[in-house]
Amino acid sequence: MARAIRSNTRLDLIILSVCIVLSLAARALPNTMRDPVATGMRRTFLAPLVLLQERAERGRQSLLSADAKQTYLDSLSLGSMKAESLESENDRLRKLMGLGSRLRWGFIPVEALHGRGVRDETTVILSAGTRAGVTRLSPVIAPEGLVGVVDQVDPTMSHAMLWTHPDFRVSAMSPDGSAYGIAQAHLTGATGGYLLELRGVPFRSALKPGALIISSGWGGVWPRGIPVGTVLEEIKTTEGWARTYLLRPAVNPADVYSVMILRRDRVAKGLDGVWQNLAQVDATAQKIVVSGDSAARSAALAEAAARKAVLDSAARANGAPPVAPDSTRAVTPRPPPVRRAPVADTNVRRDTAPRRDTTRRDSVPARDTIPIRPGVTR
Amino acid sequence: MNVGGAIRAIISFLIFVVLHYTLRPLLGWRAPMDFLVLALLLASVRVRPATAAVIGFILGLISDSLAPDALGAGAIAMTVVGFGASYLKAVFFADNLVLNAFFFFLGKWVFDILYFIGEQRVHGVELVQQLLLWSPLSAAVTAAVGVLLLFIMRPLLEPSPA
Repeated sequence: MARAIRSNTRLDLIILSVCIVLSLAARALPNTMRDPVATGMRRTFLAPLVLLQERAERGRQSLLSADAKQTYLDSLSLGSMKAESLESENDRLRKLMGLGSRLRWGFIPVEALHGRGVRDETTVILSAGTRAGVTRLSPVIAPEGLVGVVDQVDPTMSHAMLWTHPDFRVSAMSPDGSAYGIAQAHLTGATGGYLLELRGVPFRSALKPGALIISSGWGGVWPRGIPVGTVLEEIKTTEGWARTYLLRPAVNPADVYSVMILRRDRVAKGLDGVWQNLAQVDATAQKIVVSGDSAARSAALAEAAARKAVLDSAARANGAPPVAPDSTRAVTPRPPPVRRAPVADTNVRRDTAPRRDTTRRDSVPARDTIPIRPGVTR
Repeated sequence: MNVGGAIRAIISFLIFVVLHYTLRPLLGWRAPMDFLVLALLLASVRVRPATAAVIGFILGLISDSLAPDALGAGAIAMTVVGFGASYLKAVFFADNLVLNAFFFFLGKWVFDILYFIGEQRVHGVELVQQLLLWSPLSAAVTAAVGVLLLFIMRPLLEPSPA
């Protein structure tokens, strides 16, 4: 028993010695031999462990850099948000420059400073005053159209009433002059924001949704041709003698930061051609719609005529009488109406005379009704 | 040790080895725990000193292969620690967590002493600082983790009832 234990102990010591000698031999290996041995072990049976360690190291690096990456992403998101606002601002400034090039002269580019008070939705402070040539009741415009009017002027700044102000009125009309009215703010609700309403439009002047409305030039404050808004729908009011339309404003006051003040001499010269493109586009769009309807009608008529010709020829081939005209009357093109010459009879009794197209007093184009403050000259 | 116990011991050993190459680099502590030493110590108390020496030699070569400049140093240290642990298993092989913790602590510290002396990369004050500050810290962490793992892996490590 004791001999067996001693034998085992001796065996243990021998193996221990062998292991230590091998380890020392490995330690004593020159670099040229040490590296191939280590590399061979790493590339063979240790490869899975090396892979695990690499992934763990990578995971640790990811954990350590997570905060930095998040900070970087936050900065990037912030930058992209700023870039978006800068792009929109650039776009707006380009439009403003385009408007300036079309106006050519007589305008003052200013910054609109929105207040944070109770009435900040209806008024703005403009960064130019009398020293820059601003006078009271000078129109304030943006590339999109009408913004407001200057109501107080200081030497270095001025105060403008936006179109959302309850006292703001502007005489407006359709570009073809078929409908006139007075545009004023229309509060859609406590949180719905502002629209415009065009009041006092003669009952015979119907406006389609999408029609452009521009300033009429009546009243002397606003020159003719500045876009006011586009028709959304007709709204019912208690006034039975005139129509009232809801307009989508051309300019959202909350987005106004760079505007132009028109000088009085520029207003007197008019703004012909400045917004003409908009009116032309509107008119062209309407023409396209109308011509589209005409083309469709012509195509239907041509198709009906062809069908009738085929039926007639088939009936003729069978020896039957042609199809009765009544059956195709609904689709047969009508001859153009013959306009009768006007009656030249001048001795017409007053009660039998055709009624003249009288213009009611309430349909006369109204003038701007911006109140003039006492003691202030225009 | 029966076959079931041997299989459980091998599984535990492999788990420790895998943890050494996954959890340890993931944590990246300055005084890291050493799962290879834990695996060696847990295996050594179950085998003869010669076998423990061979296991230590192989584990040492594995760890050295990832640091070729110290090839052999880890093998010497692991061989000695494995042999010693197996030789002293009568002392430390007790169902006492504190004693096991001290066993782990001592095993890791001895390994570090042998390794850093055999590696001959650190000298002077730095070596003293390493052996008297960082190595005990690392040994303490290793002991704590070892005790925790012993507690968690008790069903695997304890011999099955006959």
